[in-house]
Amino acid sequence: MSRLHRFLRSPEAIAGTAILALLFAMALTAPLLFPGDPQAIAGPALLPPFQDWSLPLGTDRLGRDVLAELFHGARTSLAVGLSAAGAALLIGAVVGTLAGFAGGLIDEVLMRITDAFQTVPGFLLALAFVSIVGPSLGVVVAAIALGAWTGPARVARAEVLSIRERDYVAGARVIGMHPLEIAFREVLPNALPPVLALSSVIVAAAILTEAALSFLGLGDPNRVTWGAMIAEGRAVLRTTPFLSIIPGIALVLTVLGVYLAGEGVVETTAVRRSLS
Amino acid sequence: MSLLAVSGLTKRYRRGGGTVAAVDGVAFAIEPGETLALAGPSGSGKSTIARLVLRLTEPDAGTIQFEGADFRSLGGSALRARRARLQMVFQDPLAAFNPRATVARVLDDPLRIHGIASRTERPRRIAALLERVGLGADLAPRAIHEISGGQRQRVAIARAIATKPSLIVLDEAVSALDVSVRGRILDLLLDLQATERIAYLFISHDLGVVRAVAHRLVILDAGRVAESGDARAVIGNPQSAIGRALVAAAPRLNRTTAP
Ligand SMILES: Nc1ncnc2c1ncn2[C@@H]1O[C@H](COP(=O)(O)OP(=O)(O)OP(=O)(O)O)[C@@H](O)[C@H]1O
Ligand SMILES: [Mg+2]
Repeated sequence: MSRLHRFLRSPEAIAGTAILALLFAMALTAPLLFPGDPQAIAGPALLPPFQDWSLPLGTDRLGRDVLAELFHGARTSLAVGLSAAGAALLIGAVVGTLAGFAGGLIDEVLMRITDAFQTVPGFLLALAFVSIVGPSLGVVVAAIALGAWTGPARVARAEVLSIRERDYVAGARVIGMHPLEIAFREVLPNALPPVLALSSVIVAAAILTEAALSFLGLGDPNRVTWGAMIAEGRAVLRTTPFLSIIPGIALVLTVLGVYLAGEGVVETTAVRRSLS
Repeated sequence: MSLLAVSGLTKRYRRGGGTVAAVDGVAFAIEPGETLALAGPSGSGKSTIARLVLRLTEPDAGTIQFEGADFRSLGGSALRARRARLQMVFQDPLAAFNPRATVARVLDDPLRIHGIASRTERPRRIAALLERVGLGADLAPRAIHEISGGQRQRVAIARAIATKPSLIVLDEAVSALDVSVRGRILDLLLDLQATERIAYLFISHDLGVVRAVAHRLVILDAGRVAESGDARAVIGNPQSAIGRALVAAAPRLNRTTAP
């Protein structure tokens, strides 16, 4: 309870959580509030916001409902952001644990691979990957994860290096436990907290990368995304800037919300750890 | 034949520019059901010997014969299987367990790994093990950090005897405990030895405790054996300088030898 209390005393954490809650609500209610295809034509083209209450945020160049697109875009942003970050954390934790626990040649090889991935900017990697394999939701998730797992891998490895010298790991060897079981059942769970502390930054970056890919036309063409909406609006930026500004604001708020809520969680757990 | 026989055991560590031998040509043997104590000042190589004997650290040189086989030649699954017979109890029972573990899981692992009991049978075996070390079966679901230090060390002993070992290495296993708790743990160890004929490699800097439990004693100095022999004889009449210094530094011994 006291953890929750401390969390709720931080205004940043509350703001972040509120934004995230709103985002999740949008994502979950999108198919209920806006059933049917959000990419279907709903009214006259380029209707400005707050003119027609059946189309509160107006329409785009093709007459599609901006509010419906915004809600459905939240689904894509969250789905891609969370699954890409989850995949990156999983890959990073496994690679880092194997490298740190095995040591020697395995460590050397895995860390050289990590170095190689880290020297290429994540966005370029994602861009190249999607261009080669072709845009679909799964490919976009994999592409983003490919550029994001190196940070978690390094943190996991450092943590595992310190944990593997502890008596309880020696104790697990003494009772004849298999090295893989020691690595993944005894060591990895205790190495996770600092790795998970990276998740807010990774989720935020993943959402931005997804938007950037969509902006460049490399998102899943069957899904509404905020990046694609911004790109759409760019053609009429001078006359109807709101078409780019609305999804842009949504994107900024989302990234901010993820980051603030994540920092709040890290902060309260870090305080708890330094107290105990 | 000896249960455990080591000879020429050597381990060097890099320090600064050169290397330092933490353990340097050490030889000793343990008979079945016997307690051999290792004593020596801090840094004399006691814990290193424990880790070498248990194959937690690889020696630079030396042989380790255990139960008539070359223990150093074992690897992989053969080594893991043989580990059932050679167990260890650590000094700090809190550090020796996964911080997330429960008592039941700590005891379940060796039973599962060595196929000693089926999944359905294991809870009963765990209860029996707890009972054997003087704990209630109701302790099983508790987290390791929720029980007392003395209880934790009993759990550590229960884990060590779960696989029916012939030798248990105890590295300062009672040093961190209160004097009253220590006495009862020592009694438990003696009782287990009497009933199960388990041998102990008993590492301690406390010669009072050593005299109470050990049959034979090896005194180490800077990684080498300074002297060895019958525990009471060595403590009563140490021959080496380091042996005399250790005896002189043991307060309880002085009190009992004074009239
Ligand atoms: N992993 C290691 N790396 C480098 N040096 C080590 C390592 N382990 C032990 N040593 C050194 O080897 C020597 C023997 O250490 P060891 O822990 O065996 O002593 P000990 O007799 O158990 O001492 P204590 O009574 O303090 O526990 C010490 O000088 C120590 O610094
Ligand atoms: Mg030691």
